[in-house]
Amino acid sequence: MYLASVAASEGAGWPEKLPLLPHPAEMIVGVIAFAVLYWMYSTKVVPNMEKLYAQRAAAIEGGMKQAEEAQAQAQAALDSYNAQLKEARGEAARIREEARTQGTAIVEEMRGQAQAEAARITDSAHRQIEAERATAATSLRGEVGRLSTDLASKIVGESLHDEVRQKGIVERFLAELESGAITPEKVDR
Amino acid sequence: MTGSIAYLGYGLAAIGPGIGIGLIFAAYINGVARQPEARGMLQTIAFTGMALTEALAILGLVFAFVFKG
Amino acid sequence: MSLTVISAQLLTSLVAEGDGSTFETPGTSDFWWPLFGGDSNWAFTRPSAVMLLTVVVLGWFFVSTSRRLALVPSKRQWLAEQTYDFVRNTIARDVIGTKDFKRFLPLLFTLFTLILLNNVAGIIPFIQYPTTSRIAFPIVLTLIVYITYHAVAIKAKGGVGKYLGSMIPPGLPGWLKPIMFVLELLTYFFVRPLTLALRLFGNMMAGHLMLLVFIIGGEYLLLHGSAPLKGAGVLSFGFSILMTAFELLIEFLQAFIFTMLTALYLADAVSEHH
Repeated sequence: MYLASVAASEGAGWPEKLPLLPHPAEMIVGVIAFAVLYWMYSTKVVPNMEKLYAQRAAAIEGGMKQAEEAQAQAQAALDSYNAQLKEARGEAARIREEARTQGTAIVEEMRGQAQAEAARITDSAHRQIEAERATAATSLRGEVGRLSTDLASKIVGESLHDEVRQKGIVERFLAELESGAITPEKVDR
Repeated sequence: MTGSIAYLGYGLAAIGPGIGIGLIFAAYINGVARQPEARGMLQTIAFTGMALTEALAILGLVFAFVFKG
Repeated sequence: MSLTVISAQLLTSLVAEGDGSTFETPGTSDFWWPLFGGDSNWAFTRPSAVMLLTVVVLGWFFVSTSRRLALVPSKRQWLAEQTYDFVRNTIARDVIGTKDFKRFLPLLFTLFTLILLNNVAGIIPFIQYPTTSRIAFPIVLTLIVYITYHAVAIKAKGGVGKYLGSMIPPGLPGWLKPIMFVLELLTYFFVRPLTLALRLFGNMMAGHLMLLVFIIGGEYLLLHGSAPLKGAGVLSFGFSILMTAFELLIEFLQAFIFTMLTALYLADAVSEHH
């Protein structure tokens, strides 16, 4: 029946023909249209688009690589910073410790020096006092000797100086006094 | 009323494929709702099934034109 | 076709019928619209002109856009890229697989954009003729797909004999093998191309015919009907606008399905086993 209707419509012209029957000129136009568009797409559009895709993928990949690098750098910087910080902390502790020991040593030394100085001052003061006492004692002895000789001279009425000096009476007396052979009534020393 | 009974026949012939395509896409929607990640695979299967089912309706259309006069 | 064809048909009906008071149902003959050459086999028809126009528009748009692509896209590049991305990733890569899809990209992209624009031509004002509702164009596109997937399969499977052998699914009992072989043979060589071409053609023609019925019927009711029928005519026009929106969806879906099935057949062809 299909073939029959095709045969029947052969003379009737296109408007009355089956809608399922392709029109030859339209088929040729269709082939040309497809061929032209396919040629344009396969030579220009698709390669360009694929290039863009590749570029975009490369850009994204490159960006990720860059980000990774930056992260690694940041990590390295952080590590070195941490290490430096740790080192600095150790250093600071060490310096503080050293300062403390040094301070103690200085304080010790200063104390020792001060003590030595104090001892020295005390010592020299003692010595001076001793010397002065000795000087005073000597001069006093002389004075006492002279005074007593004077007194004795006045009592006796003549100068005894030469004799006293010659015989060392005063000396002997004072020595006896010091050794406690005679006790003075009043010693004003 | 004039016309060709072939078109009426086509209308009847389209009932079955219509139901069939409805079932296929109902199952597809169900599947995607349950497992959205399987969408790509299910889509392929759904369209293959639809193509097979619709072939019957399209054959009906062809025969409607062939038998109309 | 709708609006321009209304006036054309109105004119012819006025000339033919005098007052144009009889309603002519829109039919398949309305799709025949020669520009030159009358009713002959070699007439240059309006759909041919639309087809060539779409090729010019598509070629200009994509070639000029892809000539200067930037990593950060402009608006126009974004549109081109979205279309390309849809065909490349959603259709080609997901169906064929990452290994083989790149060499089929020009074919799939050509099919998708060409069919889409030719379908949408059905509702673009002043063109209003879905080119794919003329069966010659779906047949041509299907023939290209048909030849491609058989050629690819024969090459991938290493010879015609192995290709035919691969049609028997493995692991079947012996008595079932011939039956399955005949069924698969029918599917590969007969059902697949037939449905691929006729699905596109049928959807586009039926959709456009429906719009014609609503618009021409509404026009007739509005001009020649009685008072209540004029209301129905207005309703019919309103519904035709709704249907136009619906048609846009169908047009996109058909372009998608055609490309998707092509990708499926190609994926089947390049796969190692059945």
